[in-house]
Amino acid sequence: MNSVSFGGSTTRRRSRGGMSRNAGSDVKAAYLFIAPAVIGFLVFVGYPLIRSFYLALTKYNGLTDPVFVGLGNFRRLFTTDPAFWPALRATGYLVLLYVPLSLVLGLALAMFCNQRFAGVRIVRTLAYLPVVLPAVATITLWKFILDPQVGLLNTILDRLGLPTSLWLQGPSTSMPSVVMVMLWGVGGTMIIFLAALQAVPTELYEAARVDGAGAWSVFFRITLPMISPIVLLQVILQTTAALQTFNQPKILTNGGPGFSTKVLMLSIYENGFPTLGRIPQLGYASAQVWVLFVIIIAVIALTAKFSSLWTYSDSTSD
Amino acid sequence: MTALQTEPTLAGATQSVPPAKKKPRLVGTTAWYVVALFICAVMVVPLLWMITIGLKSRTAVFDIPPKLLPHEWTWSNFINGPKAIHFPKLLLNSFIITGLSVIGGVLTAMMAGYALARLRFPGRKTWFYLFVGSMLLPGVVGLIPLFQMYKSIGWYDTWLPLIVPAFLGGNPLFIFLARQYFLAIPYSIDEAAKIDGAGHLRIFVSVMLPLTRPAWLTMAILAFQASWNDYLNPLVYLYSSGKWPLSVGMASFISPFAGKTPDWSYYMATNLLYMLPPLIIFFAAQRYFIQGLGALGSTNQK
Repeated sequence: MNSVSFGGSTTRRRSRGGMSRNAGSDVKAAYLFIAPAVIGFLVFVGYPLIRSFYLALTKYNGLTDPVFVGLGNFRRLFTTDPAFWPALRATGYLVLLYVPLSLVLGLALAMFCNQRFAGVRIVRTLAYLPVVLPAVATITLWKFILDPQVGLLNTILDRLGLPTSLWLQGPSTSMPSVVMVMLWGVGGTMIIFLAALQAVPTELYEAARVDGAGAWSVFFRITLPMISPIVLLQVILQTTAALQTFNQPKILTNGGPGFSTKVLMLSIYENGFPTLGRIPQLGYASAQVWVLFVIIIAVIALTAKFSSLWTYSDSTSD
Repeated sequence: MTALQTEPTLAGATQSVPPAKKKPRLVGTTAWYVVALFICAVMVVPLLWMITIGLKSRTAVFDIPPKLLPHEWTWSNFINGPKAIHFPKLLLNSFIITGLSVIGGVLTAMMAGYALARLRFPGRKTWFYLFVGSMLLPGVVGLIPLFQMYKSIGWYDTWLPLIVPAFLGGNPLFIFLARQYFLAIPYSIDEAAKIDGAGHLRIFVSVMLPLTRPAWLTMAILAFQASWNDYLNPLVYLYSSGKWPLSVGMASFISPFAGKTPDWSYYMATNLLYMLPPLIIFFAAQRYFIQGLGALGSTNQK
């Protein structure tokens, strides 16, 4: 996707070929300009990547030197640790609930806000509002809204004569409740879809209308194919974000009840940065980090690989 | 959750408005406004409810059955609540941390973007791909090694781990956005400036920065939001409560201590104050929010 802009910059560069006497000073200036970013990349991306891979193969408590144990951490993860599979299951459940709902709702909301009605800007602004608010502020607010006894949601349901629920405190409703809180921020998904929808040429819709196409076929034959690259981007963005969910389960439930919302990130945090009095297992937590990392890479790779099956691109001769 | 089932179908129904004749259009319009009202309610009612909790007395919060509006309006919560949470101190901490990381993040990203877009040097493509590629790296991978690194150089329990990375091009997304924006500026401008004898620093500061105002304002807003809302990093790196930013301070106020129920009315009153700075920025600079994310949407489209 960047190759296009690169082509553009090459031709532009060629056009100022006469400036070559400045080339030497350009190089020096360029490295001065990107020096902070380069140092940052080496220190905050390169070093931790290598170091965390090494730590994943060690037993390390942060006080004494790490002891190399090979694949011991991974063996313990997959075979003996009783908390690992539940964490993986909780993470998978969260992703399966959150990602499709976030995409469908986000797209529906974007289409809803992409119409000419008086007041549509207000709806758009309010739908995006929760994204702007501090996560901690909104999550704690929702924690109270979902309180079974005095919370707003059960109060409303009760007044309407509808069944109430334990929400975060019920073992089977806890994860859907966490996802519901996450979905309150669906405006973030909406805004990217909205930009994509507005980039679809209106002539296509006009042509379809002339041909007498119905709403559904317009959606499935024009809208969806035209925005499919953005759908792909959103699948990747939302899935990688969902796999790394931390704030919501940490503040809403702290993993409970039972293991029902103990996602991988929470388990990593608890192993690496335990409460006072317990020994941090940094090597073990690093191994968990690498499991998560590999899952994320796999998701990105698989989505990108299969994207050609369902994304639309100009070059196909159809 | 109830929105899930209704919205897609209704969005589809309103889509069919254009080809239809007059009477269905009226139905469609009504349906649109009904759904719009529902969406607005879902987004706003929790916030309004937060304010009413903030106005309730400490015990009225736990009335059963709960009342939607406060019986007596306890305005003093807006003074006593922030006092109990040490709000002024936390606010100052948040402002310092956020302010510095916004300046650092935007400045270094703009510098890198300038070099990557407008200067010729060996390794330019490589660095660009490395920066963009690091966007895909989950933050959690660095957490443990960096924590140990900060600890060994004495930065644990200081603000430096929250600020210094920003000054080292902390957000690759900003570098990407800056580069995209710089690419769109005509090259004749630099050449004219060079003929006038301006060096790269002069060109960057007095020619490029004014021209790229929308880009760095967008980045500044995104950086503000990211730092103001950040919870995991300060939670991990800051131990003493006197150094906490608002995010950690607020969360710890309601996390259950042994046997003590959190004071929700104090909390909600303070929560409103915590939300105010991002709210004000959002309403003052709405189009930059849309622009920034729109840029992400459109740059990736092709």
